Amino acid sequence: MLKVDELTKNYGDLVAVDQISFEAGKGTVFGLLGPNGAGKSTAINCISGLLRPTSGHASVAGHDVVSDGKAARQNLGVVPQELALYEDLPAIENLRYWGKAYGLRGAELDSRVSEVLDTIGLVDRAKDLPKEFSGGMKRRLNFGCGIVHKPPVILLDEPTVGVDPQSRARLFDMVEAARDAGACVLYTTHYMEEAERLCDSLAIIDNGKLIAKGTVNELRAKLSARDVLQLNGTFPLDETRQAVDTLIERDDLDLEVITQEEECVTLTLSRASQHLPDIFAVISNAGGVVTETILRSPNLETLFLLLTGKELRE
Amino acid sequence: MNFALTSFRKDLSRWRQDLMQTAIWFAIPLTVGGLITMLMSGDGAQPHGVLLIADQDESFLSVLIAGAYSAGDIGELISVEKTTVEEGTERVNAGEASGLLIIPAGFGDAFLDAEPVTLTLKTNPAQTILPGIITDVTEIVLDAGFYAHQLFGEEINTIQSLVDESNDAAVAAIAVAIQNKIEVVAPQLFPPVINVEIVGPPATDVQVSLALLYLPGIIMMAVMFSSNGLASDFWVERDHGTLRRLVYSPGQLGSFVIGKALAAAVVIAIIGGLTLVLGFLYHGVSWAKFPSSLVWVALSGVALFSWFAALQMLFSNQNTASVISSMLLFPLLMAGGSFFPLAVLPGWIAAIGRLSPNGFVVDKLTSEITEVGAWIIDVNSWLIVAAAAASGLSICAWRLRSGFAQA
Repeated sequence: MLKVDELTKNYGDLVAVDQISFEAGKGTVFGLLGPNGAGKSTAINCISGLLRPTSGHASVAGHDVVSDGKAARQNLGVVPQELALYEDLPAIENLRYWGKAYGLRGAELDSRVSEVLDTIGLVDRAKDLPKEFSGGMKRRLNFGCGIVHKPPVILLDEPTVGVDPQSRARLFDMVEAARDAGACVLYTTHYMEEAERLCDSLAIIDNGKLIAKGTVNELRAKLSARDVLQLNGTFPLDETRQAVDTLIERDDLDLEVITQEEECVTLTLSRASQHLPDIFAVISNAGGVVTETILRSPNLETLFLLLTGKELRE
Repeated sequence: MNFALTSFRKDLSRWRQDLMQTAIWFAIPLTVGGLITMLMSGDGAQPHGVLLIADQDESFLSVLIAGAYSAGDIGELISVEKTTVEEGTERVNAGEASGLLIIPAGFGDAFLDAEPVTLTLKTNPAQTILPGIITDVTEIVLDAGFYAHQLFGEEINTIQSLVDESNDAAVAAIAVAIQNKIEVVAPQLFPPVINVEIVGPPATDVQVSLALLYLPGIIMMAVMFSSNGLASDFWVERDHGTLRRLVYSPGQLGSFVIGKALAAAVVIAIIGGLTLVLGFLYHGVSWAKFPSSLVWVALSGVALFSWFAALQMLFSNQNTASVISSMLLFPLLMAGGSFFPLAVLPGWIAAIGRLSPNGFVVDKLTSEITEVGAWIIDVNSWLIVAAAAASGLSICAWRLRSGFAQA
C-alpha cells in the first residue's frame, strides 16, 4: 500500500533523507522513529508530494507520488504535525471543506462528516469554531480533516506533540480504528512508548539514514535481552578503556561498550544488576568516580541508544 | 470549478466572522469622503458685510453715492446702514461692520463746483475681502462721478437747481441735451457690439461639483484598503497551515485562487457598492449609472486584489509583505486621485496618476459617473482590467505551486 524505495532528499550539501526504503501494508501501522531533526518530516513531505525527492521513489496505493501525484494524493490522508485548520470556520465546515477538496459530495460527504465527527468525539461541538477549542480538541479535528475522505494510506506526523494524556489516548484509539478499518498508517514519532503500543513494524531513522527496521519484536531481539547501564561521573579515558576491556573479556557479562567519554560510560550487558559490584570495583580501581548510575531494561529506547549512542529525545 | 465555489463559500463564511475589519475598510474612506464633501460643498452662502454711511451732506449727490452700494450684485454682498460718525466708528472698531464711509457736509456743492473734497472710508482691519470690495466700489463710484461731471456738469447743475421746483419742460429739455451728448460720445464710450458664443463642456445630466469629483477617488480608497487587506489572507492561510494541507489534496490550487478572488469580489462589491450608494444619494447621480459603476468597481477591485496578493506572496514573511504593500498603497492613493481629484491636479501629475492602476480606474469611473449615459467605459478599458485580474491571479496560483504554500 505504501512503498518507499531509496528515497533521498538533499538541500544543497545537506542530506536530509538518505536512501531510505521501507514498505507498509494494508491494515498495519508502520512507525518511523527518530529524534527531532532526524529526517522524519522531510520523508513524510516527500511521500505526501509537498517536496520533490532528489532521487528514489515513493508510491501510494500503487501511484508514484511524482509521476502520478494527483492519484497518489487522492489516496493519501495527511495529518500534519502543525495544526492546519480554519479556526474561524465551524468544525463541521472544516470537515466539509476538506472532504470537498478530495472530491466528496452530497450524501457521501454528509455521511462521512458525521462518521468522522463521531470518531473524533466532536459531535456536540460540531458548530463551534476551533479557536474556542482546547489544544487536544484541535488535534482531534486536525486528525479528522486528514481522514475525512477515508484514505487507504494515512500519514501521521508526530500527532501527539503537545497533547494532553486524555487526547493522546483518544488519538491512539482513532489510529487503531483506522488501522482496523483497513488503512495503512505511517506514524512518525520520537516517543518510543507510542511506537511500541501502536506500531506493527517500524524503522529507526537518524541523520537522514534508516538504521534499523523490522517488527517491534525483531528489533527487541537485537538487544539480546541485554540491559543498558549508564554511569555518570569522571573517568580517566585510557585507564577506563583498559578496565572496560577486562570486563569485555569476561564471558559471563556479555558486555559491549556503547559510549565511553570522560564524564559518561554507557554499557550494555546481560543481567546488569547482578554484576554491578564487580563493575564498580573495576572502574574504581582504574581511577574512575561514579556519581550516578542509570540502569535500563531492554526496549526500543535502549536499542536506539545502542545503535546511535545517543538518547532518542536529545 | 466545483472546488472554486467551495472555496468561495468558505472564504465568505470566514470573512463574515470579522465584520469589524470590513467595517474599518468601509469607514476610513467614508470618513475622509465625508470630511471632504463637507469642506467642498457647504450651503453656497456668500460673504456678507455691512457698510455704514455717515452722510453729513444729505444732498442729492450724497444720496446717489450711498445708493451705488445697494445696486446690482454689490447689493447682495453689502448692506448699507446710515449712521453717525461716532456710532459708525465704534461699530467698525467693534467688528460689527466692514467699513464706515463719511460724506462730509458740503460734498455736493464742492463736487458741482469741481472743488477738492475728501470722502473718508474707514475699513475693518479684521476683515480682508469685504473691505477690499467696498474700497474698490468707492473708487469706481468716484471715477464715474468725475466723468459724469465732465460730460453732464451743466445738466447736473440745472437738475440740482430744479430739485425743489416742478418744471417738466425744463427737465425734458435737459434730457434731450443729455441724449444729444450721448449720441456724440457713444462711439467712443460703447464698443461695437460683439456677439460672443460661449462654448461650454458637453452637457451633463448631473451637476459636476468639486465634491462629486472626489467621489471616484474615495470609492477607490475603500476598494484599495479592502483589496490589500483581503490579499493578506494568503498569508493568513499559510500561517494556519491550510495552504500546506491544500497542497496535500489532489491539485486544486487554481480553483482555490479563483474561489478566493470571487469571495474578494463580493466583499469589494459590498464595500464599493455602499460607498457608491451614499455618493449617488448625496450628489444626486442618476441610478442608471449604478450597475456599470458597481461592476467596474468590483472587477477593478479583483484586479487590485490579485496584484496585491501576488506582491505579498513574493516576500519571505508576512510582516515584510504587509509593510511593503502598505508603503505602496499610500503613494498610489495619492497619485491615483483618492486624496485630490485628478481633474484638479497639475497636468503632469494627473498624467502620471492616470498611469497608476488605481488612477486608471478612478479616471474611468469619473467619466462613468459624470458624463451623459451609462456603460460609457470603453471596451478596451474593461479588457485591460480583466487582463490585469487574470494575470495577477495566475501569478498567485504559480506562487502557490512554486513553494509559497509549502513553506
